[in-house]
Amino acid sequence: MLGRLRMDIDTAIDAYNNLVQQVFSDPKQWPSDGRFKATKLKEVFQSVVRNASPTGDAEEPLLEVGNASICRT
Amino acid sequence: MNANIPVLFRSYQSHETHSGCKIWEAARATSAAPSFFKSIEIGNKQPVIDGGLGCNNPSKLLLKEAHVVFPTQPIGCLVSIGTGQAEVISIKPSGFFQQILPTDVIDALKAISTDCEATHEDMLLLFANSSNIYFRINVEQGMQDIRLTAWEKMVNVEARGHRDRKKRPGVDFFAKAISAGLTN
Repeated sequence: MLGRLRMDIDTAIDAYNNLVQQVFSDPKQWPSDGRFKATKLKEVFQSVVRNASPTGDAEEPLLEVGNASICRT
Repeated sequence: MNANIPVLFRSYQSHETHSGCKIWEAARATSAAPSFFKSIEIGNKQPVIDGGLGCNNPSKLLLKEAHVVFPTQPIGCLVSIGTGQAEVISIKPSGFFQQILPTDVIDALKAISTDCEATHEDMLLLFANSSNIYFRINVEQGMQDIRLTAWEKMVNVEARGHRDRKKRPGVDFFAKAISAGLTN
């Protein structure tokens, strides 16, 4: 959040609280291969990326090309 | 799945960059703590899970990576952040804990805790003669009664930290670490 998405600290804490609430308040009804929904986790992460990314692309690649002085995460 | 081979997700170019990995995939992989979320397959279809099992303290991995990326530069500052789990795990597994967890799981947890602390001891030795480079931050008290799934408490902890951040005792420590990072 801080290194790659360059969120400021307050925004990151808010986003984290929000995602924790969304993911853990909705456990699987029939737990198998993990108690919580991986699809839900994926959606929440995509939404965090969409909101933080300058291009608004939820599928933004992890790799940043070019600028060598940027934060390496 | 081999928990002994750590996978590094990098935002920068490297000879082993995980090609085509998306930000959400890296986040999803590092959150895949067994029994919480299923593993995820990325790129070469090798399933990956959270590093909590097998690679809980990646300090040595970081030193290696730093040497590859910045071969001529010495380490300016290394901040290692623990979750306090070592303290929890080191509590004698008696009664209920013993009953719900098989002995081999307890042994595995002990091994992780020991490994985590052993790595910390190694780092202390390595940086013994250079002050203000290695910083280890771990929660020693107060996390024992917060389980990983206790997200309601988690939100409370986070919210409290949010309000009182400037007054928290750790701030001086962080300030020291940051200024060390800037001056080295």
